[in-house]
Amino acid sequence: MDQEQRFLGVLGSSPFRIAIVYSIAFALGAVALLGAVYFAVSEVVDGSTDNLIEAEVQGLREQVLVLSRSDFIELIEQRSQDQDVRGAVYLMVDPQLRPVAGNVPAWPKIGADQGKWIQFKVAVPFGDETREHEMRAQRFPLPGGYRMLVGHDVQERQDVKQLMMRGLIVAVVCTLILGLGGGFWMGRRILAQAGAISAVAKQIMRGDLSQRLPVRDADDEINSLAREINGMLDKIEQLTLGMRTVLDSAAHDLRTPLNRLQSTAEAAMSQLAPASSERRVLERVSTEVDQMRSTLDALLRIALAETGTVARETVDLSELVASMVELYAPVSEERGIDLQSAVDADAHVQGSRQLLAQALANLLDNALKFTPKGGHIRVLLRGARGAPEVVVEDDGPGIPADKREIVLGRRVRLDEARKFPGSGLGLSLVAAVTKLHGARLVLDDAAPGLRVALKF
Amino acid sequence: MLSPLRRESNVPTKIGPRTVRYDAMHILIVEDDQVARDSLAKALREAGHTVDVAVNGLDGLQMASALGIDLVVVDRMLPKLDGLALVRSLRATGRKTPVLILSALGEVDDRITGLRAGGDDYLTKPYHMAELLARIEALARRGDSGGDAITKLKLADLELDRMTRRVMRAGKKIELTAREFQLLEFMMRHSGQVVTRTMLLEGVWDYHFDPQTNVIDVHISRLRQAIDKDFENPLLHTVRGAGYTLREDD
Repeated sequence: MDQEQRFLGVLGSSPFRIAIVYSIAFALGAVALLGAVYFAVSEVVDGSTDNLIEAEVQGLREQVLVLSRSDFIELIEQRSQDQDVRGAVYLMVDPQLRPVAGNVPAWPKIGADQGKWIQFKVAVPFGDETREHEMRAQRFPLPGGYRMLVGHDVQERQDVKQLMMRGLIVAVVCTLILGLGGGFWMGRRILAQAGAISAVAKQIMRGDLSQRLPVRDADDEINSLAREINGMLDKIEQLTLGMRTVLDSAAHDLRTPLNRLQSTAEAAMSQLAPASSERRVLERVSTEVDQMRSTLDALLRIALAETGTVARETVDLSELVASMVELYAPVSEERGIDLQSAVDADAHVQGSRQLLAQALANLLDNALKFTPKGGHIRVLLRGARGAPEVVVEDDGPGIPADKREIVLGRRVRLDEARKFPGSGLGLSLVAAVTKLHGARLVLDDAAPGLRVALKF
Repeated sequence: MLSPLRRESNVPTKIGPRTVRYDAMHILIVEDDQVARDSLAKALREAGHTVDVAVNGLDGLQMASALGIDLVVVDRMLPKLDGLALVRSLRATGRKTPVLILSALGEVDDRITGLRAGGDDYLTKPYHMAELLARIEALARRGDSGGDAITKLKLADLELDRMTRRVMRAGKKIELTAREFQLLEFMMRHSGQVVTRTMLLEGVWDYHFDPQTNVIDVHISRLRQAIDKDFENPLLHTVRGAGYTLREDD
């Protein structure tokens, strides 16, 4: 199965296709070249025999005028026996077509429509056996109703032509075999290299930026291309790591003072009486720090997801979706919202379980926030084989069609949503996580409500 | 040799209200941020622990390697020796002292690298002191919760059998869902300790994020319905500003 696929892969490869085109072109070239030679040679050989016959016919026509019949018969007999003139054939017949003289056993059958030249086969002794030889001849009438046939054995000529034709076919077949075989070999070679490159590219896409394309010693185009791509990857890795460093130091420089603020506020609070107004102020400070922290967390997670450097693992999407639904089921029941789910088993994706969980939690948080009491939320995981799709659907107010694109941008909160708490980063994080996993985020009208689909 | 270290008092100066249930430990704080270090040291002393502090990784490693340290709280980014390197070196010498890593980094997989380096728990700044104290307590007690070997957990008249997956209270069978069972098992393993919402989300669901919805509270209130509703003495208590605790009322 695998081998068959690899074979089919080679057949579809571009080198093999190019080889097909070239072998056909070369084969056509061979046909043209050898064909031209064939026709030229035929012309020369045919022409010379035909001239020979014409001359002989001309000579005999003159002789018959001056010679008596018996002398003419003798002349024909002589010529027929002449060993110097190899391949010449003669036949003189009486009006009843009975042979009178010559070296052809019988007058050939001649169709009425045949012109000056006729061709027929004659059995000729060849060693111990006889062979049918092709003869080419002209005929002309003799006085007294007699007829004369003058021709030549063209079997040899025929043999040469056949040999040339065979040579031509062999040449074309060889060209095709060599061309296609070479193309197949080249296709396989290039496909192997391309396969190695695409395997590495996939790992890089998965976030492993340390991977490099394999480079062989050879100095061909593919190797120099691989070298250049590797150079580019070095640059990308550098930039991404740089970005990660910037993110880490930004995180550090924001989290450290926030932590001081939180510690200080809490330490002060522990010294104050529970209901004092000072304590209430500090409690507000602490709540604001929490809010800043959750915004900061969301921003950092979005940025991290966007660098694509988050480590990946095989995530059991079915387990994840089911457990998220289970996590949110009691709270939605408490709020009088009907949470339903249909989860196909055995859906797996490569990615970050924590980020996927966070994305799903954001979608569920949103759905709970905007769905009124008595509303419905549906969570679906469809298509376990190959391309799973996670759908979160509610029958809340939804998002107007013209605003669906912009809510995915960072910190966009629609006016209608301002009365609800939240950082406005929820969907942006979902979008970043979706992109990190090479999936598509589709917002749709659930009529009424919002349908969010993550298509892996 | 140890000149940059300030060895602070071994004797708790003040026993605060939070402290009653803590077993006194000798805790080392390795943290370069003074405000964080001081407030953490103060809170831990108030909780009755003995506290040593170090302001850089090298000193921290030296002190952590000394005998008598029960637990180390280490910041991830430290001068001289990085927090993760400190933990790795400590583990390389065979020390099993529980380590809690504090981090001000970007998160997501930083947590995994932290735990892989040998950390036992990982907390991102800014944190609530209550969260940190609860985690320290959980780490310190991890050894005596019995591990997986113990099949029966018991608190007052509440009994949980991990083999038969049955929960009984005062001889009466209590029906729980699979998740409620897990939740109760986690609470019973940490009985007497404060368990925060994030600890529950991590320990029971294995998720590390802050839900915007009070999902954990609702799960807890269902569990409370199941185990406390028909009984006189409640076992599951809410600890204001921190989380929950499962304990016998005194």
